[in-house]
Parts: sequence; C-alpha cells; structure tokens
Amino acid sequence: MTELLVKNAHVIDPLSGINGETMDIAIRDGKIVEEVSAAAEVIDARGMLTMPGGIDSHTHICGTKVNFGRYMSPEDMRAGRTPRRGPMHATSGYSVPTTYGNSYRYSVMGYTTLLEGAMAPLEARHTHEEFTYTPLQDTMANTLFDGNWSIMEAIRDGDVKRVAAIIAWTLSAVKGFGVKLTNPGGTEAWQWGKNVSCIRDPVPYFGVTPAEIIRSVIEANELLHLPHSVHLHCNNLGTPGNYTCTLGSLGLAPDLNPRRQTLYATHVQFHAYGGSGWKDFSSKSEPIANLVNMRPQVVIDMGQILFGRTTTMTADGPMEFNLYRLHHEKWSNHDVELETGSGIIPVIYRRKNLVNSVMWAIGLELALLTKSPWQCLLTTDNPNGAPFVRYPEIIGLLMSRRYRDAEFATIHPDTGSRVPLPAIDREMDWYEIAVMTRAGQARALGIQDLGKGHLAPGADADVAIYPIRIDEVDPSADYQKVIDGFSRTEYTIKRGRVVARRGECVVHGSNSTLWVRPKVSENYDMGKDPEFVEKFDRYYTVRMSNYPVQEQYLNRSRCIETETEL
Amino acid sequence: MMRVNLTLKPMGSWSIPIEAESIIPANFLSGTDLTVWRGNRELGLEEAFSVSVVGGADRAEDVEIVLAGKTARLKRVGEYMDAGKITVLGDIGMHCGNFMTGGTIEIQGNADGWLGREMGGGSIICRGNAADYCASGYRGGRKGMTGGRVEVYGRVGDFLAENLAGGTVIVHGDAGDMPGAEMRGGTLIIHGDCTRPAANMKDGACYVYGTARWMLPTFRNLGTVRHEGRTLIQFTGDVANRGKGNLFVGNYEYLD
Ligand SMILES: [Zn+2]
Repeated sequence: MTELLVKNAHVIDPLSGINGETMDIAIRDGKIVEEVSAAAEVIDARGMLTMPGGIDSHTHICGTKVNFGRYMSPEDMRAGRTPRRGPMHATSGYSVPTTYGNSYRYSVMGYTTLLEGAMAPLEARHTHEEFTYTPLQDTMANTLFDGNWSIMEAIRDGDVKRVAAIIAWTLSAVKGFGVKLTNPGGTEAWQWGKNVSCIRDPVPYFGVTPAEIIRSVIEANELLHLPHSVHLHCNNLGTPGNYTCTLGSLGLAPDLNPRRQTLYATHVQFHAYGGSGWKDFSSKSEPIANLVNMRPQVVIDMGQILFGRTTTMTADGPMEFNLYRLHHEKWSNHDVELETGSGIIPVIYRRKNLVNSVMWAIGLELALLTKSPWQCLLTTDNPNGAPFVRYPEIIGLLMSRRYRDAEFATIHPDTGSRVPLPAIDREMDWYEIAVMTRAGQARALGIQDLGKGHLAPGADADVAIYPIRIDEVDPSADYQKVIDGFSRTEYTIKRGRVVARRGECVVHGSNSTLWVRPKVSENYDMGKDPEFVEKFDRYYTVRMSNYPVQEQYLNRSRCIETETEL
Repeated sequence: MMRVNLTLKPMGSWSIPIEAESIIPANFLSGTDLTVWRGNRELGLEEAFSVSVVGGADRAEDVEIVLAGKTARLKRVGEYMDAGKITVLGDIGMHCGNFMTGGTIEIQGNADGWLGREMGGGSIICRGNAADYCASGYRGGRKGMTGGRVEVYGRVGDFLAENLAGGTVIVHGDAGDMPGAEMRGGTLIIHGDCTRPAANMKDGACYVYGTARWMLPTFRNLGTVRHEGRTLIQFTGDVANRGKGNLFVGNYEYLD
C-alpha cells in the first residue's frame, strides 16, 4: 500500500464543482481516496494551483504517420536534443520528437492522458508499440473510418446496424478507442486522384456523400454506446470559404446523448475560413462559434496555430497535396488499402504572412467566442498548428487581452480588417482554462467515469500541481508568469506517484492503454460475416486472422466493454 | 602572432576517431587547457597531442594552428571557427570546418566527408581530394552552405555542394554524382567532369567545364555562351522544381 497526501493545495476541479478551494488530496494505491493514514508521504502544495492531470483530446504522437514525419525530417531531430539524465532517456526532435521526448515534455506540463488523433486500423500495431514507449501518459487511439470500403457499402445499402457492426469489430480488433472521420470520403476519392469539395459530393464508385457518412457513423457510434462521440475532421480543410462546409457538417449532428456531445469537430481553426481565394481570405469564426453556442450536441477543439516551424500530418491526403503545391517543400503521401491514407509536410507559419496571421487569430476567436469552455477545447492539433510544448502560450493569450494586443501588433498589418479578434475583450479565468485543458476533455471523451479529469474519491490519482499563486497573479497583466507556470509543474502525479518535478521526470513510468470492445450479438459479429470475410481475403494484403492486434501489444491494457443495441 | 603546433601522438592500433571541435583559433587565446573526445573518453589536449605554442595573440585573427601527425582521424576540426587560420599538414577527418563563419583552413592532404558543411563564411582550401558531401548541407536541412569559399584542387566525391545557398565552391578536378543537388543560390564551379549536376536546382549558378554525364532532361537548353575564355552551353532549370537556376556545361551526354 502506498499513500500520498497533497496538503493545502489550491484546487480547481470543474467536474467536481470545485473552483479555487484550499484542500488536501489523499491518494492510496493510485486512486484518490477520502483520507489516508498518518504514515502517508506528504507533499506541501501551499498556494499552488492544483488541477486534475491534463488531457489532450487530439494530438499526433504515435504511429506510422508520426514516425514518417520523423524520418522525413531529420533536421527536426537536431532541435530539442536532451541527453540521458537519471531515469530519462535521451530525446531529440521539436515538432515530431521521439516518443520519450513527447512523454517527458507533456509530463513536465502536467499532462497525464493523451488521445492519438488518427490511427489507421491496418497500422495499429505501430501505434500501440509507440504507446508503450510513451510511459508517463495513459493513451488511447482514435481509429480512422473515413474511407472504409465496407462501411461505405453498408451506408449505400442504408444499413446503419451493419456500419455499427463493422466499427465494433474493427475497434475490438485494433484496440481502438474512438471513431475518427478525416475528410470523410475525401481520402478515398484521393485514391482516384480526386477529392470531395463538400458534404454533398458523392465519393467516386461508392456513390455515398460525406453527409451520409457522417450521419450514419454518428448513429452507429451511438448504437454501440461508445464512450466518445464521432470525432470529425471536416471536409475541405484549409480552403478559403470552407466555413460553409463546416457549418453544414456541424448542422448534421443530432442530439442523441444526454451525457456528452454527439459530434466532436477537431481543429476547427482550419475549417473556419471565409473568402473565395487567398486574396480575400478572412476569418469566419463568428458564424461557427454562433452555431456551436446554439448546439450543445457539438464540441470543437481549437487547432490553434502559433508562429514558427512545425510539421503537418493528417490522414487527409488530398489536403496535404494542396499544401505541397502551395509550399513546394518535401511531401509524403500514403495509402492505407481499404481504409484511409495520409500526407505529411513540414511548414513554417510566419507572422509576416497575411494568411498565417488570419489563421492565428481564428483559433483564438473560436475559443473566445464559444460561450461555454466545455464546448471549445485547447489544442493545436499537435504538431499541425504548433508543437504541444507551446500550449502555455495559448493559455496566456486566452487569459490576457494585453498579450493578444502585443502579439497582434507584430503580425501582418492587414489582419485587422479580416478578423474580429481586436474587438474581443474576453479574458478567460483559471476555471475556464481548467475546463479547456482537462475537465472538458474528460467529458467529451466520455472518460470521467473511468476516473479521468477530476479529483473526486475513486478517480485515478493523476494530478498537476503548478507553481502559480492564483490569488496573487493577475493573468491579464502577468501573462508571462502564467506561461512559465503552465510550462513546468512543481509536481506531476500519475497513478499516485510523482512522475515529474520542476522540469525533470523522476520515474521510468508505465502507461495504460484504454480501448473499447462493444459487445454485439452473434448475428453482428463481422468476424463471422461471409461477405465481410470474403472482401477481407480478397483485397487486404494481410490475412484476417493476422489483422487483430494481440492484447500483448498493449501496456496495462484497459478494456472498456460497452453494452450495445446490436 | 601566435602559432600553435599540435602533433597527434601515436596511439597504438585503435581506430576510434577523435572529436576535436575544440580546435579553433579563438579557443587558444586563453591557453591550451582544452579537451577532445575519443569515443566516450574525454582526453586533455596534451594527452592526445604534443603541444607547443610560439608567440602570443590578443585576437583570434592572429592565431594559427598547425596540425601534424595522423590527423585523418580528427573530426570536426574548425567547427564554428570565426577567425584565424588552421593548417593541416596531412589529411583531415570528417566535418572539418562545419558551420565556420570566418578565417581560413588549409589542408595540404585530403579531406574526408562533409568538409565545410553548412559553412557561412571564411575560406577552406584543400590541396588534395575531398570526399562526399563537400560544402554541403546536412540531412533534411533546407539550406547548406550560405557563404564563404571552398576550393579543392583534387577531385571530390558525391553530393558536392548539396543544398548550396550562397558562397562559392570551386573544384579543379572531377566531381562525383549529383553535385549541386537542390542548389538554391551561390556559385559552383567544377573544372573537370561529373554526373547529374544541379538536380532539382532552384537558383544559383553551376559550371561544369568538362563533361556533364547523365545530364538531366529537366533543364532547358538556352544555347552557347562565352565565359572566361571558354565556350559553354547554358541551361536553365531544374524545370521539375520550377527552378530558375543556371547550369553551364562544356559538354553533356544524356543517359540513353
Ligand atoms: Zn489531427
């Protein structure tokens, strides 16, 4: 039995309704408990902002795409090198660091749970192997279903239960957590050298539209009672005028689940563009935020960009080709058989570039114009908008109008006429930041009942203690203190152990992987469905029996079984 | 003037290179208490070299280092050098003059790979041959050499001046495969022959006074020009990279 007592912590824990109380947190054997014995080890957190461990609900840290980003950018490995130190392995890389680099840097910022945003089912093993070497965070993987042949056929046949059955079989097989649609239909169209321009364009050969894919997969997701909703990367990413397509997509979401949203739209900054081309490119954050404000069934994340160098990577193959034609730098493109694809290019976002300046403003506007922080979560779509190590800067920008104005003065001078940002006064408070970086994520991912994102007795003892005195720091003026404080915890506690202290990781760690097994009746077991099996044997390069990821691949496998309507 | 004589001591039969990035003129202004690395062992300068110092200096410009012995195993000599002179009496190992911004390195023998990699200024003279990636960039980087001058009197290996972005590179002998690949600026002059020059070039000027073999088909022939007493054929490209570079060759042969 190991016991830990965090004394005098200044706690913000939105899911428990706690907003700035000084209290003790008792921990036994990795869980939060009511009280511990006098023998417990004590940490004095007097005056320090203490919150549940951070959760990133959309990041790219593990898997084939991330790894390809690493090996096509050896120059990135020359940045951010750290030597071996204590239990810490050597790390390298800035926008696509080594797995240990990701894990240590997230841990130092107080993050304890990460969702890999896009796992191609066929390549799931690679993701799980890299999860094992991301030891200081619990991990889960969104699984890509955007171009899945069997699903598109089932949608064409109007059979939502079959869509659900295919998702159930695949999630169980690849040990996935949630359902991800990346440019639904578009990446499949890309395999024919095409794309879809918006949600009413039929996908070549299959004849279904992105709108039909989104709607059917949402229904299927809810039939399976999955913890998370459908996680959507809308069509038409990065194109001027794409906001209408985004509004159309968000408008498709019915309100089917009282406990959480039915649609999570990711990195919406990249989908909130006005204009008919780059010349009249502008922000359309307002109509998007207005729609979100009226629809509790929708949650978005920011996909904020910050100026500097990074790597873009997504399953959205055709979008990356367009980016390549714009930047004319190195580019990779990848096809994943009957499932999906991907593309990667390194980019530099520049202050002096008008388009980049407008993009920077849009991400902030989405967060500031969405009334409820539960509906707009803090992300950069790491590393697409910026590497996650820069999250504290975003917190600073959201909390301080003065900081925003100072930054605004350095960007392209024409930005002001194209974005609403200069007129927005809102400054977020500590509670709202806590929602946008952990509590909101836990609710949106449906993992609060698994003990994530809060500090009530029974929860996982994942705690972030920041060296910030919130009664003394005025974030509006002292934004640099806010940035410094969120960059480096005093203590990060994972599963009841101190894993990071003042910028150093102090244990090897061992992650858990959360995944979902929907329980379906015999009739809906696709492993026994003759048509599904035949298609598999005919078109995949692997045998069906070799396809599932064995549980041994998962470190501390944590299977979530769901009761379904199949 | 200060002259520092460093003669590498014989060290038996081991073949581990010595990482000697500490050997730059500026470092000797405050004495010879420097270290080098052999594998994972840190050696004092005097453990690895016989050291003698003649004269004195207040600025790096007035320091000359003379390296003698089996110096082919010394790596990174002159890295980040900004002034003064290094003379190598024999051969030198890899990465000599990495990132240098000023001063002169003269090598009387041959240089191993990556001579003057990513250099920004100053001058390197190699009297013998240089191996692959002479005056080039580094893995994945967008810009290679950005300024200064590298002159090799012998031949060079493959990927000469890869990613060249500025400065001048002159080779009196032949070059290997792919000289000037990904060039985006600067001037590359090869007196001898080579294969596949200036692939994917964006900008800058590449001269091959001899014959360019396996000439890439993605360059547009603009006809002949006179250049310093020679008649050369001028091409522009690389069209495959929307390039606006100039490639001048004495002769060329396409791969058939
Ligand atoms: Zn993403």
